Amino acid sequence: MDFFGPVLDGFGVVLDPTNLLYCLLGVAIGMLIGVLPGLGPAATIAILLPLTYGVEPVTAIIMLAGIFYGAQYGGTITSVLLRIPGEASSVVTVFDGYVLAKQGRAGTALGIAAIGSFVGGTIGIIGLTFLAPLVAGFALDFGPPEYTALALLGILLVATISGGSKIKALIAAALGLFLATVGRDIFTGAERFTFGNLSLADGIDFVPIAMGLFGVGEILYNLEERHRAAAAPVAVANVWPSRKDLKQSSGAIGRGSVLGFFLGILPGGGATIASLAAYAVEKKRAKDPSRFGKGAIEGVAGPESANNAAATSSFIPLLTLGIPANATMAIIFGALLIQGLTPGPQLITEQPELFWGVVNSMYIGNILLLIMSIPLVGLFVRILRIRAAILAPITALITMLGAYTIRNSMFDVMLVVLFGAVGYLMKKFGFEPGPLVLAFVLGSLLESSLRRSLLVLEGDPTGFFSRPISGTLLVIFVFVAVWPMVKTVIEKRKKANALLSETKVKEKV
Amino acid sequence: MKKQFTRRAMLSLAAATAALSLAACGGNVGGGAAEGATFPSGPVTLTVGQAPGGSTDLIARAAAEGMAEKLGVAMPVVNKPGANGALATEEVAAMKADGQNLILLNASLITITPLAVSEAEAVSLEDLDVIAGLSQDDYVMVASKESGVKSIEDLKKGASKLSFGTTGVGTGSQLAQALLLAQAEIEGTTVPFDSGSPALTAVMGNQVQVSTIQLGEAKPQIDAGTVVPLVVFSSERNEFLPDVPTAIEAGYDVPVSQYRAIAAPKGLSAETKTALTDAVKAAVAKDTYKSFNESTLLTPKEITGEEVVTEWNELAAKYKKLTEEYDISLASK
Repeated sequence: MDFFGPVLDGFGVVLDPTNLLYCLLGVAIGMLIGVLPGLGPAATIAILLPLTYGVEPVTAIIMLAGIFYGAQYGGTITSVLLRIPGEASSVVTVFDGYVLAKQGRAGTALGIAAIGSFVGGTIGIIGLTFLAPLVAGFALDFGPPEYTALALLGILLVATISGGSKIKALIAAALGLFLATVGRDIFTGAERFTFGNLSLADGIDFVPIAMGLFGVGEILYNLEERHRAAAAPVAVANVWPSRKDLKQSSGAIGRGSVLGFFLGILPGGGATIASLAAYAVEKKRAKDPSRFGKGAIEGVAGPESANNAAATSSFIPLLTLGIPANATMAIIFGALLIQGLTPGPQLITEQPELFWGVVNSMYIGNILLLIMSIPLVGLFVRILRIRAAILAPITALITMLGAYTIRNSMFDVMLVVLFGAVGYLMKKFGFEPGPLVLAFVLGSLLESSLRRSLLVLEGDPTGFFSRPISGTLLVIFVFVAVWPMVKTVIEKRKKANALLSETKVKEKV
Repeated sequence: MKKQFTRRAMLSLAAATAALSLAACGGNVGGGAAEGATFPSGPVTLTVGQAPGGSTDLIARAAAEGMAEKLGVAMPVVNKPGANGALATEEVAAMKADGQNLILLNASLITITPLAVSEAEAVSLEDLDVIAGLSQDDYVMVASKESGVKSIEDLKKGASKLSFGTTGVGTGSQLAQALLLAQAEIEGTTVPFDSGSPALTAVMGNQVQVSTIQLGEAKPQIDAGTVVPLVVFSSERNEFLPDVPTAIEAGYDVPVSQYRAIAAPKGLSAETKTALTDAVKAAVAKDTYKSFNESTLLTPKEITGEEVVTEWNELAAKYKKLTEEYDISLASK
């Protein structure tokens, strides 16, 4: 079969012992950092990037992907046992998970979460398997104008959908775009913001920015936060959920998986939004919504399935279009570039082994996680007790060493320190580093594709709209850009009408 | 408690030993150069100005393997990518001329890059002692199937305007293509890409109709029939593409190839230089190295350091003259 041939070859790639080992390593690290509050998958992947230089591209990406979805499992454990969400995507699990634990049903909550995560992850992979080749079928039709439209759309979505203040996200994105212009102009050879320094001639490398903003910035910020004393973990028993629990949560798992899958595909979406949405859906659907927050098993099952499905499906835009949907994907984008691979529609046809190797490794990774997540709970809880005073310097040291090994350059180490300070200040003043990194990655793509398009189109901007794919993408772009404004206008009018009819009622927006 | 103390003691002991041995090393290297002691006095580092995994890096690693065997010391390859290799070259050129630090040079850095960047950034061979030349890597011009172009003649009579992809500013790909287009009086827009692979993909999808790419990158697609080779830019036909004419055969004065050589900081002692030259000779004579050249489609060009200097300087002068003659500017378009 045309379609299944490469898919099956991909399994051959995964079953290679080295790849299996790295897959195991990735998911174990992912689970560990999922347990540790503060250190997220984006930071970990950024810190570990230099480790992947010596290995085959497919092995490297298998490991990095493992860290990402492994973290979704790990985050659950601390949410349930300690009321500390290890990851942002596990925040909602706290509501019912911890209550369940206090009721002595911690095992049930963890068991259901693990099963839900597994189902969600698997549904995500199956979707990825079938959807990705469809998108990639248009690979060679993607020329400079299409990449321009994609980059524009990516940057816009990041700015509009990211959590927190929109203005701050835009400011961070603008800074990222500016940083992307540093270096020798690839069209004319002119120096831009290099100050005669040869180290800047090729622009600022992506890795020091990511390592600084996410790695060092995060470490500094966490040090300042007073280390929360870990409460004594609740005893875990009966990890295998009863038939009644399973029956009660199976619907939530199914809904969460599908919802998570679709939210994960959207740029700017991802695991956190997916878990929040899934929780809201379960609460809305429940016959007795008041049970939520008091130990409803669906409140654990839905979000946990959703965050894993979303973690998996967020690979779709990256691997098929070259658009990183969130900060972690931006770093994996960087990792692919370092390996000499450009993520985009060509990836699946030019590198079928890499593509299917990575996709299929997720099946294995999910099984490994399911097996590990239950017996290792006790161990992970103990790791939580390591003091920040010990953990932080070790992580900082690994980061610096890693930064040096990228290009054997002290200049890069300085950059990491500099961006570490920037990252710390950004967090302190409520700026997310995500939009900056995403805009930085997409910025050079946007600039070079735009200029290349104008060369190919002989300076005629209408050419962007006459090509079917770039035209469609640009229409979506305009829609996404204009929609929030339209929505505000409609809401204002509604509000005005409401005010006219019932002057007493003041709506809260 | 006791256990902890022992561990701490061991740690400090280890640290002290490391510091001592580091100091000793430093002393050795410094003294060695001053007194002209025997070479090699330790591992010989070969710096590469390109990222790991690229063709330049692979050549360095293949050569270093054989050289290390002959010299009897380890020969680590260190990548310091940046500014087309200028960063690494300037760094090595400023090091002590004791033969312990070498650089793998790309000819384009000396012959072509100066045409695209300001004079202050250009690298010259004057600060280096070239040990030996290694190999030649050819450029091939390929056309998309949809364009229907099969030869330079087709390009010349082509009615519609064509776009021409290059692998970047200041590369052999850009120079070769610009010279050919100017000499054959072909109209077209030049579109620079970041490297060979996107330039090739763009031809495959007919986003640009023609690109000039290094042979090693284009060969799989040429063999698969997805792109059509038009012309190679070497002075003689390439042994891996015997049916494709050279630009010179077609009547155009465009001899552009990528050459690579190994060099050291200026001022090597005669013995050190001989030892290094012998090491390169031994390395390129090995079967594993020869089969490496073949598998990566490289033509051996194992000439002496003096020949490298003469040839590269001649090429640099020739390119300068040609670009002035045809009024070509690589820097801006």
